[in-house]
Parts: sequence; structure tokens; C-alpha cells
Amino acid sequence: MNALKKFGLKVRVPALSISVALLVGALFIVFTDLEVLGGLLSDPIGALSLGIGRAAVAYSALFRGAFGDPATIQKALESNGDILVWARALRPLVESVVASVPLIFVGLGVSVAFRTGIFNIGGAGQFTMGAVGGTLAALFFGAGVTPAPIAILLVMLFGLIGGAAWAFLPGFLKARVGASEVITTIMLNFIAGQFVFFLVSNFEFIQKPPRIQPVSKELSQFVDLPGILPIASLRLDIGIIVALLTAVAVSWFLFRSTRGFELRAAGLNIAAAKYAGMGATTSIITAMLISGAISGLGGALVAVGTVKQLSPGIAGSVGFTAIAIALVGGTRPSGVVATALVFGLLQHGGSLMQVQTGIPIEMLLFIQALVIAFIAAPELTLGILKNPFRRRTRAVSK
Amino acid sequence: MSAKKKSAAPSRSKAAPVTATKRLRTSSVGDGADAHQQLIASRVRAGLFAFFALLSLAITSGSAGVEGKFAFWADKVGGTDISFSIPVILLWAIVTAGFGAMAGLQLTRGATFKWRLAIGLVSPILVFALLARLLDGTTANLTVFFTSTLSYAIPVGIGALAGIVAERSGFLNIAIEGKLLFGAMIGSIASSLTGIAIAGPIAGAIFGAGVSLFLAWLGIRYKVDQIIAGTVINIGAVGVTTFAYLRVLQPHSEFNRPIGISPIQIPVLSEIPILGPILFSLSPYFYLSVGLVLFFTYMIYRTRWGLRLRAAGEQPNAAGTVGIDVVKLRYRAMIIAGLLAGFAGSYISLSGTGGFGVNTSAGKGFIALAAVIFGAWNPIYAFGASLIFGMTTAATTLLSGLGVSLPPQILLSMPYVVTIIVVAGLIGRVRAPASAGRPYDQG
Repeated sequence: MNALKKFGLKVRVPALSISVALLVGALFIVFTDLEVLGGLLSDPIGALSLGIGRAAVAYSALFRGAFGDPATIQKALESNGDILVWARALRPLVESVVASVPLIFVGLGVSVAFRTGIFNIGGAGQFTMGAVGGTLAALFFGAGVTPAPIAILLVMLFGLIGGAAWAFLPGFLKARVGASEVITTIMLNFIAGQFVFFLVSNFEFIQKPPRIQPVSKELSQFVDLPGILPIASLRLDIGIIVALLTAVAVSWFLFRSTRGFELRAAGLNIAAAKYAGMGATTSIITAMLISGAISGLGGALVAVGTVKQLSPGIAGSVGFTAIAIALVGGTRPSGVVATALVFGLLQHGGSLMQVQTGIPIEMLLFIQALVIAFIAAPELTLGILKNPFRRRTRAVSK
Repeated sequence: MSAKKKSAAPSRSKAAPVTATKRLRTSSVGDGADAHQQLIASRVRAGLFAFFALLSLAITSGSAGVEGKFAFWADKVGGTDISFSIPVILLWAIVTAGFGAMAGLQLTRGATFKWRLAIGLVSPILVFALLARLLDGTTANLTVFFTSTLSYAIPVGIGALAGIVAERSGFLNIAIEGKLLFGAMIGSIASSLTGIAIAGPIAGAIFGAGVSLFLAWLGIRYKVDQIIAGTVINIGAVGVTTFAYLRVLQPHSEFNRPIGISPIQIPVLSEIPILGPILFSLSPYFYLSVGLVLFFTYMIYRTRWGLRLRAAGEQPNAAGTVGIDVVKLRYRAMIIAGLLAGFAGSYISLSGTGGFGVNTSAGKGFIALAAVIFGAWNPIYAFGASLIFGMTTAATTLLSGLGVSLPPQILLSMPYVVTIIVVAGLIGRVRAPASAGRPYDQG
């Protein structure tokens, strides 16, 4: 009971934030519907119920996209193990997990930096450069040059290196000359995108054969990450296992190792950490290297395993989402994984919502922004729960 | 006792002027470790300039016989053109000499050398020399080049101004990009719905101010980390505007058919040959932005408001002690910043014919942030920086239009690279307002 209560207190703010953000999202759906807006004056109740009905339809599509259609799952349960039916029933859920893989990686990477007091918003750039590393490794060592397991390990290694290299510069500059990591990582995100554009449109051994589009060759010809599900058509590969292992490793590192303690100390109070004889400079650089390496590993696995192609926009909005995830998850590996799974569900559900009801998936970005605002201002979030009259009196007494 | 005092007094009075001049000298250069760092930075700069001088010497020797051909439109845009040609080798010789002189002056004068100005003087020639070399005999129209440079500087320059006003007050403003996007969308909608051209910029500015007020409210009232609050705005802006575009503006294009604000011909002045089409046939936004830059330079450095603004950004506690309402001042500064950024955003959707599009600001807000830093939080320098950034973009467009095969990505990432170098303090440290990013606690 006590443990349950503790858990409840811990998830209270995140859960409330996500629910309120989803509610605001629903309002957004209602009030961007021109039919609803048009009818608002002549028949307000009818118009509103139309709008709410549409929002409900949208959210039910989102739910079905995230977890699967109950009817299909029912059918699968009755089918006595028909693989095709099962595949159809499970696909949404599996795809949601697939969508959460990059989010887990970058969320973990960003969390390590946040714990050290560094606002690394370069997750997207580090992810992209990891994807570059992984792609190059796949092109060089894949397709039989080295045995497949070694090629996969090399892909991961190059991803780690790519991401870490991209994070080294901001970390170094922050530690040595105090250059704001916010500015440098933002700029490096853009440079990473331009760099990929340059790579995939200028080199024959990278670019896809007709050499018109700025994308790389199909990487599945070079390295194929093994799937982990018995049904071959469900594309969940070892990326998720690596992601979960990374989470365990990060958790051990942050909370059980001496280095991790130093990093957290630097994040809590850098002056005190310095005074206690911990190298604040090395803490910052180490944290950035680890942070970048984790994001880069994710980039390599996603580029080679999920997308199977390198393109300038491979990171998408993962850098933004990762910040939301790290904050909602309290920069704890367990919280990050849980939140990343929730956001993965939202993401895949959102894509079905877009297909079925035409409501753009970009709504999720808006929801993420709100969630970040709520998490960062717990006073504001808890204020929503409180009795408004009590709040008023407190404000007066102040 | 008294003799001692007497003997001590003159020596002290003798010593006083010495320490005073010493203090004066050190205070202009910085003290202790800072001075040392500045010395190193100036040597790094000198080395860099020397490197560039050698590089351009190498290009000079390799470009004998190539003619750089340029053209201007003499009377009006698209009218008769005047073309001329310069041997490329001459241009490069000038660049080499320029960099050589900069390296020498930097080394001898140290930290007092105005390297920013020198870069400002040499870089246009460098761009031309590069252009001429790359064009390799093809004629380039410079009127187009200059006008596109100046137009590019409009949203970036005003965006940078928004950043400067906010950060001078002590509020770190990384949300310029988000406000540009909102300004662009609202500007387009307002102009389309009302059918009045001026409604676009006004609505964009007002909406930008609203967004900025929300940002300030998060950061000041709830003490949300200003970077996180800014990130909220940036993410939210992409989400909301893309959502609204796909859901409303695209299916109902009547909401996204703004009355464009087209370039104006300034009477008399626009008829000056060559200069007229470049400088005096631009969008009214340009003249306004120049006016705003001058206005805010005056306001920040020459008025009581500006002094208080800077005080709030540097030492909010001291400012609060002498009776300045720092919180109110920051709120006001953020509203002004929002007005400016929203106004800048409206230019993006109203200058062309397309209206608003998905992510139409395309990172200009972050380039503006770069310009703020490159311009050392000074409106005029920042506008100069946005002109330089505009020039690289214009050069990219020009070259790709003429089919010159230079990877444009290299030029396009220049602003970002330059910003990192500047933030790193390698070629000269710029100092942000001391309290930008820190919440202020009013006791």
C-alpha cells in the first residue's frame, strides 16, 4: 500500500501532465474544425457535440493505432494461432514499440547530460551522426565483408563513435571556456543535417543508385538486424533489446558507480563537486561523450535496422521529443523507458489517426510542448488540481 | 610618526597616477587570466588571418587569366544591364593583401585591434573573389545578389533585435524561431481574412507578443528554466502551425492567400543608376528594419530605459535595490521582443506569393540567435552579422542557379560554424548579459 502510494505520488505530475495535454489537444481538434466553428453561433450545442464526437473518433483511432484494434485482437484469439491474423492484430502495438526505440536511446542520452547539469539539446545531431557512423560501417563492413555478427557490432561501435564525436565539441567547449552548450548543440544539429545532405548527395558509394534523391543506398542489402519476434512480418529487431540493456547500464552507471556519482554531484552543485575534489571539467566532458554515444547508438540502430536508409531528416523530431521524455521520466532510466513507450504509442497511434481522420500527427508536438511546460512548472500543474478558491486566497495573503 | 606619514604621503600620491593608468589600461584589456586569454585569442586570430592570407595567395597564383564577369541592372529591376569584368587575380591579390595586413596588425596591436570591423571590410571582397573564381567566366548579376542579401537580412536582423532586447533584460531568448513561425502564420491569416495588407504585420506582431508573454510568464512567474521554456515555444510553434496549416490552411486556401507586401520604389532615389535598384527598391520591411535597428541602438545605449534594461540583465539584484522593478521590466522587454519577432515572422509569409507553408521559417530564428551572439548583443553589429549570413545564402542561391557545382551545404552551414567559433571564444570572446537565463527573485 505504501509502495503503491509512493508510486502514485511519483507518477502524479507526469500522468496529470500527459492527460491535461491530451485534453487540450482534443480542444484543439474541436476548435480547428471549421464546420464546428461555423455552427458555433447558430447552434452551439449541436456544433460542440459534433466537434466532441469528432475528437472522440480521432482519439479512438489514436488508441487503435497505438494498441491495436480490439476486434482484430478478438479475431486473432479465436483463430487458433493463424500467423497472418496474429500479425495483423499485433502490428500496431509492435510498431509503437519500434517507434519508441529511438526515443529510449535519445531520451537516455539527454538524461545523462541533464543529470550532470548540461542542457544537451543536440540529441538530434548526435543521433544523426550516429546514423552516419552506422551507415558507413554497414557500407564498409556489411554485405559479406565481415561475418554478420561482427558487422552488426561494428555498426553499433561506429554509431557510438559518431554520436560521441558530435557531442565532444560542445562538452569540451563548455568545460574549457564555458561556451553555452545550448547554442553549440543547436548549431551542431543544423550542421549535422547539412553534413548528411552533403554525404548522401556527393558520394557514389553512399547515394542510392539513380543518384537523384539525397538518400543513401538501401542498407538492408548490407547489414540486416535480426528480428526478435517469431512472426517475420513484424519488424521488431534487436534494437529494442539494446535499448533496454542501455537503460540498465545507464541506471547502474548513474546510481551505482563512482563516476556516475561524480556526474550527478556536478549536476547538483558544480562548485561543491569541485570543492570535494571531483574534476568538474572531466565530468562535463564525460557526460557529453556518454550522452552523445547513447544517442549515436540509437541513430545507428534506427538507420540500419528500422529505416534502413540514411537521409538528412533521419532524426525528425526525436531531439525535441527526447527532451520531453527526459523531463517527464524525471531523467531516470526507468522513467525514460516508460515515458518513451508512452510516446511511442502516441506516435504510432497518431499516424493512424492522421490516416483515418486527417488530423495531422503534428498535434503530438504541441502535446509534447505542453507536457514539458507542465513538468517544468509543477506548481502550475498541481494548481490545476487544487481548489481554485483556495489558490485565490493564498495569492491575496501574499 | 608625522615624518613617516609625510614621507608616506608623497610616495602614495606619486604612486596613485601610476596605478590609475595601470588600472585604466588593464580595465580596457581585461585583468589577469582574462587578459591572458585575450592575448591568446588575438594570437589565434592573427594565425587564422595569416592562414587565410596564405590560402588566398595560393588561389591568386592559380587564377591567372580568369575573368570575373559581373553585371548590374542599371535603371530598374530587370532593366538594361551594365556589365563589367575584373581579372580574378586582382580580386584575390586584394584579399591576400587584406588578410596579410590583418594578420600583421592583429599581431602587433593585440586585443585593441578591431578585428570585427576588419572582417566586415574584407569579407565582401572575399565573397566576390570566391564568386568570380567559382563562376569561372559566367556573368553573375550582382543586383540580384545584393537585393537577396538585404532581403535575407530582414527577418534575421529583426529576429536578432528581438533576441537582443530580451537577453539584455536578462531573459534568454532561444524561442525566436518559434515566434517567427507564429508570426508568419498569423500574419498570413490576418492579411487573407481582412484583405488589408497592413493587417498581416500588425497581427503577426501582436500574436508574437502574446506568445512571448506566455514565455515570460513561464520563466518569471513559474521560474521554469528559460531554456526549457524557450524549447516549449519552439516545439509548440512547429506543432501548432503545422497542425493548423494541414488542418485549416491547406484545405481552405482562402485563409492563406495574403496580400503580399511587395517592394516599393522610393521616388527619386530609386532612379539612381545601379544603387537605386539595389538599395531603394526594396520591401518596406527593409527600411523599417533599418529604422528599428537604429531606434533600438539609441534606446539601449542612450536612454534611461536602456540603462535600466541593461542593469536588469547584468545585475538584477543591484537594479532591484535601487528601485527598478526588474520583473515588470523583463515582462515589458519580452513583449517588445515578441512584437519584433512576430513582425519579422510576418515578412516571411507576406514577402513572397505563397503565403504560409510548413516550417516556413526554416531555421532563420536560430540564425538570428547566431547573429545576436556574433554581433555581441549590439543591434547594429547583429544586423551586420545577418547581412554577412545573408550574403552566404545569396551566394549559394546564385551559384546553384548558375549550375556551379559547389556543395551548397558547406556555405549553408557557415552561419552555424561561425557561431560555434564565436561562442567558443577562439577568435574573440563575446560576453552575454551576465544574468541572461537566471530567474530573478524579487524579495
